[in-house]
Amino acid sequence: MLAGGWRAGAAPRILIVDDDPNLLVLLADQLRNDGFEIQTARDGEEALRRLDGGWPDLLIVDMMMARMDGLTLAREVKARADLPIIVLSAIDTADSKADLLEEVAEDYVTKPYHYPELRARIARVMRRLGDKVPRRELVLGPQLTLDLRRKAATVKGEPVQLTPTESRLLYALAANLGNTVGTETLLDRGWGDTDDADPSYVWVTMRRLRQKIEPDPDHPIHLVTVRGIGYRLVQQQPTQPA
Amino acid sequence: MSDAGRRPIELPASSSARPEPQRIGPSMSFRARLTLAMVLGALLPLTGFGLVLLFVEVVRTGELDTNLVRVALFVFAAAIIFAVLIAYFLTNNLVAPLKAVSRAVEKASAGDLSVRVEVAGEDELARFVESHNRLASALEQRNSELRRILLAIGETSPRDGLDRLVAHATRSARAAFGMIEAWIELGDPALFPAEETIPGEARPVRAVLALPDERVGVLLGRLPATRGWDAADQDLLELYASEVAVAIRNLELFDQVEQQRQRLVDLDQAKDEFLRGISHNLQTPLTSIRAYAEQMGSEQPDPRLAIIVEQSDRLYRIVRQLVATSRLESGTLKPAKEVLAIAPRVRRAWDALGATSVDFELEDEAAGWLAIADPDQLDQVLWALLDNANRYGGGAAIRARVAPRPEGEQLAIRISDAGPGVRPEDRDRIFQRYERGAAGAKLEGTGLGLYVSRSLCQAMGGDLVLDEAAEGDRGASFTILLPAEPPATNP
Repeated sequence: MLAGGWRAGAAPRILIVDDDPNLLVLLADQLRNDGFEIQTARDGEEALRRLDGGWPDLLIVDMMMARMDGLTLAREVKARADLPIIVLSAIDTADSKADLLEEVAEDYVTKPYHYPELRARIARVMRRLGDKVPRRELVLGPQLTLDLRRKAATVKGEPVQLTPTESRLLYALAANLGNTVGTETLLDRGWGDTDDADPSYVWVTMRRLRQKIEPDPDHPIHLVTVRGIGYRLVQQQPTQPA
Repeated sequence: MSDAGRRPIELPASSSARPEPQRIGPSMSFRARLTLAMVLGALLPLTGFGLVLLFVEVVRTGELDTNLVRVALFVFAAAIIFAVLIAYFLTNNLVAPLKAVSRAVEKASAGDLSVRVEVAGEDELARFVESHNRLASALEQRNSELRRILLAIGETSPRDGLDRLVAHATRSARAAFGMIEAWIELGDPALFPAEETIPGEARPVRAVLALPDERVGVLLGRLPATRGWDAADQDLLELYASEVAVAIRNLELFDQVEQQRQRLVDLDQAKDEFLRGISHNLQTPLTSIRAYAEQMGSEQPDPRLAIIVEQSDRLYRIVRQLVATSRLESGTLKPAKEVLAIAPRVRRAWDALGATSVDFELEDEAAGWLAIADPDQLDQVLWALLDNANRYGGGAAIRARVAPRPEGEQLAIRISDAGPGVRPEDRDRIFQRYERGAAGAKLEGTGLGLYVSRSLCQAMGGDLVLDEAAEGDRGASFTILLPAEPPATNP
């Protein structure tokens, strides 16, 4: 399903970091069966040593580890290279640490994981690797700035928090700034791990996003609908009055 | 004076119990009596002198000269009028200061101690007015001392701590009583006995910090040798000391409450840490168990492996229920707001239960409405309600219906079973923590399901309610309400 899906040639390389040896062996096994090249590390320090030997395409990191916790490791990794990280953790997503997690991780999966779901999320993160998005803030107009790494926007000077799904959709749109992104693509980016998602998810989420970030949600100037195809993210030129 | 000063606080109460003063002398006014005395005093010798003159004249001439009598009567009448007038003016001068004193006393008793009576001279009246002035100024000074003291005590907050309270009380005592130095010793007052007063040296004063049931310490001080110190001053100092004692007691109580509160906060944190640890330590092996069973099942299908997967999911959900309870109580649960179609989630939640022997009917009438909810939390709620329906439903079919609510932007998910239902008296109770229905004691479970589910629904901006049982209905029916979005059209 995945191999060759996003990159021709070599199998994608994943580094798994977890202090539970049973899980390491099993997960490595499962992912190898699906065509990935797998490296494993038992703790954060080992993981950093492995990084020095060559960068993987993706990291899967446990949050709670004895010697260096997942958050510290993720920050260390991001300081060296912008590698995508999926957090695999027993801490549930409603945890207060989830906020911190969002700065450093592309996605998270709670333990015990369902392998098909984990695989779907890996695929989604990998697909996004090709997306070239400004690392810092993306100024879309005098009244709208996106900071997708922090899943946040600034609308009329006020900070607005985006949901993970909203920021995934905006990520896909921002990667194709000014060009139309099809509804099916957005559905795949936003709900790639959900079997029962249909295009109405995209439509409703876009409507909610406009309520959040458009100066006038009824007359969108940034999140523009392309009839019958999808959506387009538009950057207002500084000279042009908004 | 000393009576008024000794119990300044109780003044209104004691004055009403005091006996009426005895009235001395006739019921004439002071001025009338004085005038009468002066007139009589002036006229008696005059009259006597006139009578003697008349008698001598009668003896000398042998007859009563009517002219002389007339003159005598005229002089007498003129003398009376003159005497009354002089008496009137003299007494007027005498009574005016008395009236002024009387007005001042009236004002003082109404609370205005600032009025002083001006009087010239050195006589008894002047001394009387002087003593009134002294009384008023002494009372005024004492009142302002008392006010300063009460203010000083009122300003002391328990949060400042014992050291600051004592320092503050000491400073205020020194200022209010005009002491050279003052200090407070905490502990048994007997350890700090009163010092002897040596004439010509600073006068030691002492008051016990007394509460009705305890003596917390003693207030000691030294006054300038020239400063007078009477019983009233001592009373005031003791009153002040007792207020300080109350403040110290309040501080102790405050500290106790604060310590207990801190202990509860610590315990709560410890509980959270414990749950977090438990959750991690259970989830780690569960992850391996589940993943291995899943992997083996995918290689070689076996219903026993499916049961292992199901049961590890069940255990995982119970762990999550405990964690969610802790998070709800500490307010750290922040549900996501994602767009979700409900019916497929209900179906998946049912399938995950693995109750293949029970019929499940799902009606999807959402008509394109999508809920705004946290998928993980919603799955927990659905699982808890379906699991309940399955356990209490007695094997009969379980029905679920998803439909928008006509009156607001909400989706309703109703889950009904055909079991014994909920007794009317249990309707509120079942949503409380660690509660189960009538047959609860015999059944497994944490007793947290409905409590956590309702709290999660409310945290997501919705609710969970037990539907009113209609006549002839069997079983229990719960409705989950979630905020929802109307259908969007194809752009």
